[in-house]
Order: sequence, then structure tokens, then C-alpha cells
Amino acid sequence: MIALSDYLILSSIVFCIGLAGIFINRTNIIMLLMCVELILAAVNTNFIAFSYYGGDLAGQIFVFFILTVAAAEVAIGLAILTLMFRSRGSIDIDVTNTLKG
Amino acid sequence: MEFSSILFYVFSFFFIVSSIMMITSRNTAKAALFLILTFFSAASLWLLLEAEFLAITLILIYVGAVMVLFMFVIKMLDTDKSTLRAQFTRYLPLGIFVSIIVIAQMVLVLNAGQFDLAMTGVPEKHDASYSNITAIAEQLYTLYVYPFELAAILLLIAIIAAITLVHRNESRSKKQNISEQINVQAKDRMRMASIKPKSAKESK
Amino acid sequence: MLNIYFTIVLAPLFGSIIVGLAGNKLGRKASHSITILGVAISTALSLYVFNHHVLNDGEIFNQNIYTWMQIGGLNISVGFLVDNLTALMLVVVSFVSLMVHIYTIGYMHEDKGYTKFFSYISLFTFAMFTLVISNNFMQLFFGWEAVGLVSYLLIGFWHHKESAVQANLKAFLVNRVGDFGFLLGIAMVLMFFGTLDYAETFSQKDQIIGQTLFGGVSAITVVCLLLFVGAMGKSAQVPLHVWLPGSMEGPTPISALIHAATMVTAGIFMVSRMSPLFELSDVALTVVMIIGAITALFMGLLGIVQNDIKKVVAYSTLSQLGYMTVALGVSAYSVAIFHLMTHAFFKALLFLAAGSVIVALHHEQDIRKMGGLRKKMPITYVTSLLGTLALIGFPGFAGFYSKDMIIEAVHYSDLPFAGWVYFAVVLGVFITAFYSLRLLFLVFHGKSRLDSDTEEHVHETAPSITVPLILLAIPSVLIGYFTIEPMLFGGWLENAIFIDPSHHAVSKLEDHFHSAFSLITHSVMTLPFWMMVGGGLTAWVFCIYRTDWADLIQSKFKRINYVLNSLYGFDRFNEIIFVRGSLKIGNLLWKISDMAIIDQLLVNGSARFARYVGAFIRPVQTGYVYHYAFFMIISLMFVLGWVLVASDYSFFS
Repeated sequence: MIALSDYLILSSIVFCIGLAGIFINRTNIIMLLMCVELILAAVNTNFIAFSYYGGDLAGQIFVFFILTVAAAEVAIGLAILTLMFRSRGSIDIDVTNTLKG
Repeated sequence: MEFSSILFYVFSFFFIVSSIMMITSRNTAKAALFLILTFFSAASLWLLLEAEFLAITLILIYVGAVMVLFMFVIKMLDTDKSTLRAQFTRYLPLGIFVSIIVIAQMVLVLNAGQFDLAMTGVPEKHDASYSNITAIAEQLYTLYVYPFELAAILLLIAIIAAITLVHRNESRSKKQNISEQINVQAKDRMRMASIKPKSAKESK
Repeated sequence: MLNIYFTIVLAPLFGSIIVGLAGNKLGRKASHSITILGVAISTALSLYVFNHHVLNDGEIFNQNIYTWMQIGGLNISVGFLVDNLTALMLVVVSFVSLMVHIYTIGYMHEDKGYTKFFSYISLFTFAMFTLVISNNFMQLFFGWEAVGLVSYLLIGFWHHKESAVQANLKAFLVNRVGDFGFLLGIAMVLMFFGTLDYAETFSQKDQIIGQTLFGGVSAITVVCLLLFVGAMGKSAQVPLHVWLPGSMEGPTPISALIHAATMVTAGIFMVSRMSPLFELSDVALTVVMIIGAITALFMGLLGIVQNDIKKVVAYSTLSQLGYMTVALGVSAYSVAIFHLMTHAFFKALLFLAAGSVIVALHHEQDIRKMGGLRKKMPITYVTSLLGTLALIGFPGFAGFYSKDMIIEAVHYSDLPFAGWVYFAVVLGVFITAFYSLRLLFLVFHGKSRLDSDTEEHVHETAPSITVPLILLAIPSVLIGYFTIEPMLFGGWLENAIFIDPSHHAVSKLEDHFHSAFSLITHSVMTLPFWMMVGGGLTAWVFCIYRTDWADLIQSKFKRINYVLNSLYGFDRFNEIIFVRGSLKIGNLLWKISDMAIIDQLLVNGSARFARYVGAFIRPVQTGYVYHYAFFMIISLMFVLGWVLVASDYSFFS
């Protein structure tokens, strides 16, 4: 039988892979966004596992909302990305450090 | 070893491998494709967890709409491959190291026994007449109707924001450029000209 | 009886308020009538109270009228204590005040601030009553401060005169120094006795005998010395005497009222009231006596070289206050009060007479420009003569009895330095006679040194001025003879004053006393009498007989003359040390403490520090999002590691 802990371990592994992806792929904003999607997928798996093993449907409702918000976030993120490309000519992250203190 | 356990291991294998392939691929388009495979594996896992509605939603909406959008943007923008390669190996060891540490810590925590079958109990499998959609709907439209409406408004805001950001028509709003205004000098606005007055006779 | 006390205290206050607020509308006649009516009511009732308490042995009245506040266990209230001492003071104050009120009608006749002046002197009378009738230290202090305030207002009455403004500020500041010591003394009383009420304090007085402050100083000595510092300020003892000559800048009526008869005697009154406390400390009494002696002798010497008519009388006041203080020091409190009473009458008389002369000569105050006024101003001359005779201690007059009793009491005292003090007060008689008769001769006798047009117009002053002179002359002559026996030895002040049996000056006086008349006949055998005669003769020689000898002596003793003329340098000392010193300290505080420390170091310095720390921390914000994410993950890793390894939920427990 698959226990809850197995799903959780799986979820955390994928989460850390996503984090590693954020470290590794610095220059490419699109890769950044995709790794964020990966992280969200891992977290959703986590929620659904808890919902299944806990018998409470609230986890799935939560995932529903996460999907909604993630979709909205992707849309706006890509819009910003497009603008950035239009104004600077590249999507190199090193160019975008104007928040520097 | 039950069939569902085998399925679990197969799907999780694909989940992990395709995510690793995604982050290590140099081509952005290939990375997007690997991400799609990852999502498919995730959806399969969710089916195993009897969350059918959400699994299908993931495929239809997430892969079908969001990833397609990603592909659009990837193809639209020109990404430089050489810079990707240069930066890649510099941070690889550090990233791997930190990730492995965190994974090890999480495994330690999660295997400690709190999340065993003994603690959670074996979940009952629903029979074939179980409709996940009905069950979600029963909760969503009664207990969580308020967040539901808010989520709708959120999507509306996202639409408006996305349109506003990318709109190219700049002249639809008048803006001030303060620094230009301050830097104005007299010679930008005024020109001294010497004009001889015409006498009254000549102007007739 | 309570209503009578209320009326005595409040009648002048109402007069003052009414005239102060509506004086201009009421007009001069109504103003002075209202205030004089107020004070006259007080005088009449004071006489009644005196009759009740002293002559008919009435009971002591001690009652709290109104509780002002209660702080913890301390009860601060307004209360009346009326015993024989209070009754006596009420009579003296109200009578002299009434005389001054009537006198002011004539003296301030041409002044613009006529109604304001009446309001002020009635206010002063109210404040003095409050001080005298109080039964606790707080009300005493209120009255104390109030008389100081009204004195300030009145000295600077002619506020367009620069010298008057400076004098009133000086008076207030010097008084403040005295008040500071006084307040410390009151605070110590509160600390040791836990109460500010007289009766409660005195009933516990034995508790403080053994107690000491830090350094082993006896507590009761410190308390008494601090209270005496207040008396030094108010009664102008050396070195806090510097304000009294300056206070002559005010109009003459107030010199008579405040600076001769009433306010300056508040210190003497206060020490007498505190006699149970002072008796416990020989050290304090010795200090009181010595300071009194110094004041009596050295201020008298200054009176010899003054040329302003009011200044001579001012220094005379200082000297006589010194005499009263000496009497307090040798535990002869009743003698001091006796001298206070007689002095009030004859000194007020002398001031008012001086004012009469000043008005007659159209505000000329230099005695070198007077002379031969005897025939032109007879009433003024006769009353001045009576007052002067009282002052120098001519046998039979009031001053003779009081001053001689003081000298005898010093003679019998056992305190250390009493011998030197005896020498000082006896010499003081000579000096007093000298300067008083010098004043009399130079003003009223001899050839006239007036300038011609003043001489044509000089005549006796109006009845509103001369009637008070006459009315004051009567007690100056008679009151000593009639009151010496009952006051000093007959127990008039017995229930108000406590004398420790070891201080036997008064009891020895009593042993040697036979009758008032016998004192007159025996006087020719006493040293003070011949001192007085000597002083008078010397004055006659220098002022009438051979006036050129005075100039001769002045040129020969130039240095002594210089010392006396510069008033022993007290004013210079105060100016250099205190005034310039304060200015320097202020400057120092401004430059260093304010500009350097507060502005540069603290205000600007903290801004600079914030900027420095900010510059240090700012580079953390690199602007790269993945840096931030990286830091977050690293922190997460460390937190997880810590939870797993080292916390309560550790894996390795």
C-alpha cells in the first residue's frame, strides 16, 4: 500500500527539483516561470494526497483555486515578459536588476 | 505488490525524470515539452488519488491553455542560446547540493512515522458510482462560494492587467515627462527675432 | 470669632480687588475710601482681637478652615492660628497699614497710578495678614511669597524709571535666594515630622533631637539654619541685605509699610513662631546671633556716609533688624517682638516724615541740599524729633526700652561669641545715635542749603500727610513704657513662645527688672546711655558746630571712606561672581552642551549613524530576484536543519 508519506516525499523531491531549476537557469525568465509551474504542480500533488488520505475534500477545493491563480499569474507574467523584451531587446536576467539597492 | 502501487511508482518515475530533464535542457522549447510530460504524470497520479475532476482540469486548462501560451511566447521571443550555456555549469553544483540537502531533510522528517498508514488509516476506495465532480460541486457552491466568486474576479483582473500591459497604443493617455519639462530652456520655447516695423504708409 | 478673623484677613483683599479692577471708573475719592475702609475695619477688629486674646486671656484659636489638598498622608490646608503673638502682629500690621493708606492720599496726589497704588498696598496688607495668621508652613510660605511679590510690584511702581526696574528685580532675586533656603527648611520639616502643621510639628519636636543627616550634622541645626536663610532674605540680614537700599526706589509710603514695619519683620516673626524648633539647636541660635550682630554693626556704619534721606533710614532699618535678630539669637524672643513692635512705629514714622520732607521740597532727596526746615515744617520736625529720639534710645521713649532690653539680654547670654556681640550692639548704639542725629541736624537744623525757589515755596504738608505722622508719634513715645512689663515678663507672649530653660537670658532680665520707670532712672548708669550721648554729641559737632571737621576727617580717612561708600563691595561681589558667572555658565552650556553635544552628536550623529548602517546593509539588495530566492532557500535549509538537529523536536533525541 502506498502511504501518505510516499506521496509527500515525491512532492518534496519535485519541489526541490523546481528550486534547483530556479538556481540553475538564471538567465532565462521563461525557464524561471516554468520552474515555478513545476513547484506548483508538486504542491498541488501534496494537497490532493492529504485530501485523499484525510478524507476531507477541502484539499481538492484548494487545488482548484491554486490552479486558477496560477493561470492568472502566468498570463500576467508572460505579458510582463513580452513588454520587457520589447523595451530591452533581450530576456537576460542580468539586465533586469534595476531593483538594486 | 498491488497494481496501484506499481502504477504509483511508474507515474512518479516519469514525474521526477521529466522534471529533471526539463531543468537541464538547453532548449527552451524542449523544456516546455518536458513540462507538459510532467503535468501528464501529475494528472495520472491525481487519478490514482481519486481526484478525477482536477486531473482532467489540469490537462485541459493547464496544459491545454497555459502551456500553449508558454509555447507562443517562447516562439515569439528570441532567446540567445550561448548565454544559456555559459551560465549553466557555474551554479550547477551549488544548486544540486542545496537541493539534495533539503530533500534529505524532508525525507528524514516525512519518514518519521507521523504520516504512516497506521496514523492516517487506509482510505476507503469509493465505488464506481462515485462522482468526484458532484462531490466537489457540493462543497464548492455552498461552503466556498465566496472564494469562488473572488477567483472569478481575480481572473477578470488578470485579463484586464494583461491587456493593459501589452497594449501598444501609447497615445491613448496623455502623460507628463517631468524631467523634460524641468530641463526646458528659454531657447527651446522662444526665438528672438528682430523685425523692422513697417511704417504706416508701407503697410497700406 | 472665626468670622472676625475672616473679616480681618479678607477686608483688605476685597478693597484691593474692587479698586484694582474698577479703580479708574470709580475715581480717586471712591478708590481710596474703599481701601481705607477695608483696612480700617481690619484695624478695629484687630484691636478687638488683641483685647480678647491678650488682655482678656482668650483661648488660642487653631483651626483648619479649608483643606486644599491631601497628598498621601499629608494634609495641606488653609488654617488660622490666633494666639497672643498673632494678635499683636495683627494690630501692628493693620495700624501701620492704615496710617500708610491715609498718608498715601497726600503723597501720591499727583501720581497717575493713584488707584493702582491703593490696590497694591491693600493687597500687601492681605498677604501679610495671611502670613501672620497661618497655622501651617504652606500658608506661611504662600504669604511669604505674596508679600515678596507685592514688594516687587511696588518697588518698581514707577516702571519707567530704569533704576526702579533694576531695583525691583534685585529685590525679587535676592528674596528668591532666601526663599530657596526657606523651602528646603520646610521640606526638611516635612521629612522629619511628616506634617506641615505648626501644632503637630511642635508636639513632636523632641523626636528630632538625636537625628543627624549625612555627615553627622545635627538635623535640627540644619532645619533651623535653612529656615533662618529664609529669614535672612526677607529680613535683609548680611549677606542677603543688598536689596533693601535699592528698594528705596519705590514710593515712600511703601518704604514705610513694607520695608520698615511689616515685610522685613516677617522673618523675625517667623523665627519667633518657630521658637520651639530653634531652642533645640544652640548652633543655629549662635549663627542667628552672630549674623544679627554683623548686620547691626556694619549696616549702621554705612548709614553714616549716606546722603540720600531715604537711604539713611534704610540702613537704619537694616541695623535695627540686626538688633532684632540678635535678640532672637539669645533666645529673647519676646524682646525681639517687642523691638519689632516699637521699631514698626518709629521707623514708619521716620520714613513718612522723610516722605513729607521730600514732597515739600518737590522730590528732592539729597540731604546736602536741605537744612533749616525746622521752622518751615514744624509738625514734621516735631514728629521726626520724637521718632529719632525713640530710635536712638533716649530714656523713656519706646526704642529705649526695647533696645536696652536687647543689650541686657545679650549681656546675660551664655552662647559662644556673646561677648563680641555685646560689644557690637553697644557700639551700635553710638553709631545709631550718630547717624540719626546727623540726619536730623542736616535736614532740619543749621543754615538752609536749599536752592532759592524751592525755599520760597516750602511749607508744611497737607493734613493727610501730617495726621498719620502724629498718630504714629504717639505710640513711638508711649508704647514702650506701658507694654514692656506685661510683654516681656508678664506672660503676654507666653503661650506662643517656647524658651528652653538652659537659655536663661530672659529669666535673668526678669530678675533684674523692677519697673519701667526705674529703668529710666537707672539708665544714666548704663553704658548704652553714654554711648548714645557720645553719638549725639559727635553728630552735633560735625553737623552744627564745625562742619568743616567732617570734610577734614573724610579726606584723612580716604580708604575707610571708600570702603563705606562702596557698601563693603557686596554689590560688586554679587555682580562679578553671580551675574557674570551665570552668564558664563550659560554661554558654556550653549556652546558645548547645546551646540556640540545635542546638535552635533546626538541629532546629527544619529542621522549619520543611520546613514552609515544603511550604506552597510544596502548592498544586500542586489536587484537580482534569484539571489533573493537563493537566500530564502538557504535559510529554509538551515531552519530545517536546526529543527531536525538541535530543537525540541530533534531527530536525535
